[in-house]
Amino acid sequence: MNDSSPGHPGRRYGWAIVIGILAVAGVLLALADISAGNRWPNPLAQSIVGSGITVRPTPSGNPQTLRFDRSRVGDRFIFDSPIAGFGPLNPYQALRAFLSNGAGLVLLALGALVVFPSRARSAVERLEARHGAEIALGAGLVMVLLTLAVITLLRFTLLFLAVVPLVLLVSLVAALFGIACISLAIGRLLHRRLRLPTVHPLIAALAGALVVFDLAVIPYAGVFALAAVAMAGLGLAVVTRFGSTSGWSFVDLDW
Amino acid sequence: MNAVPLACARVRVLLESYVDGDLARDDAPLAAEMREHLAGCADCRRQHHQAVSVPFRLKALISPPPRASLLADVMSSIGPAKTGYRRAWTLVAPEAILAAFILWYLSGLDGLSSIASGIFGDLQSLAGWGSGTGQLPSVPRVDIVLLIALIALAAIAGYHLSILIRLAPGALPTRRAARE
Repeated sequence: MNDSSPGHPGRRYGWAIVIGILAVAGVLLALADISAGNRWPNPLAQSIVGSGITVRPTPSGNPQTLRFDRSRVGDRFIFDSPIAGFGPLNPYQALRAFLSNGAGLVLLALGALVVFPSRARSAVERLEARHGAEIALGAGLVMVLLTLAVITLLRFTLLFLAVVPLVLLVSLVAALFGIACISLAIGRLLHRRLRLPTVHPLIAALAGALVVFDLAVIPYAGVFALAAVAMAGLGLAVVTRFGSTSGWSFVDLDW
Repeated sequence: MNAVPLACARVRVLLESYVDGDLARDDAPLAAEMREHLAGCADCRRQHHQAVSVPFRLKALISPPPRASLLADVMSSIGPAKTGYRRAWTLVAPEAILAAFILWYLSGLDGLSSIASGIFGDLQSLAGWGSGTGQLPSVPRVDIVLLIALIALAAIAGYHLSILIRLAPGALPTRRAARE
């Protein structure tokens, strides 16, 4: 990414400030999402941010032993919600959700960019072109329909039943690759719009991945936002053939 | 000054730079030899006359006017394929109809979740049968109408995807498009 002039000394720390803001926003949104609970239209909230209460007393009255949480610090930081109808506020769980799901998303996105840099660049270039985002989203929606139709069709066979997990795995990998490219595209957009200084592209992709995580933990709308991003990622991967420079071609089949 | 006179072959090699004036600037003695040779050689003098007259003859040529449809042809070849966008949007209707029919046939989301749990259960049974600890799972009965609807939805979605891929920016044209 080409740089504009450094300018104000504060711009030197521009990326650090942006990433800090996105991280804090992610934790706060996760806190609100946990408090909103597992109610419609937020049915999958717990799959992203987890439950608000993490310790359940056993019938004997003693709290169950949690193998991966020996300190149980989070039990002391549960507060009542000031808004009626919402669950308790659990900042520790929100931080846990950020450090687990958010870090996982960032690591997967950066890993895909590191392993396939040229393919990612090709895909991002086509995403940033005119109508690229709309076509990616539309293709993702069509791919979801196609995948569901194929999986349902294969369900009624015995011979190809074992192919179903493979279809799901390929779809998941494609969506993850697409999300990684979208993260990089968002990072580049932040670089242009906020006039941030030159930085390593993985730092920009980190900021973009944090934006995706923040979208995913918006109460009530986060699941749909994540679904839209995942669909767009799946569509981008399919349309660009995982960022291949040659794209889809049947020339080799016609001889 | 070189005592050996210039050969015609060498004169013709140097003719272009002599006509452009570069030879007189870079090597004046050689340019003088060129002048001497041209004064005495009719063939080389004819070549020199033609070389000098080429720029003037080019200027005298009149450019033919472009055809009236040139601008429209160029814009249509570089502009977006409007028929492609229209076709992409048109396919949404049959896809939506087939998806709604399949959802209704399967009794909505409950039916889809039962298919998912059935797949998971049959895969476990298949793994058990493969390891010799269980029986081969049976294929559930399915209506042909549902199968036809699923195949039609998959075909239309695949065709829709191919249109979107062709509309995507930066996509390379296929051989079929090149023939068209």
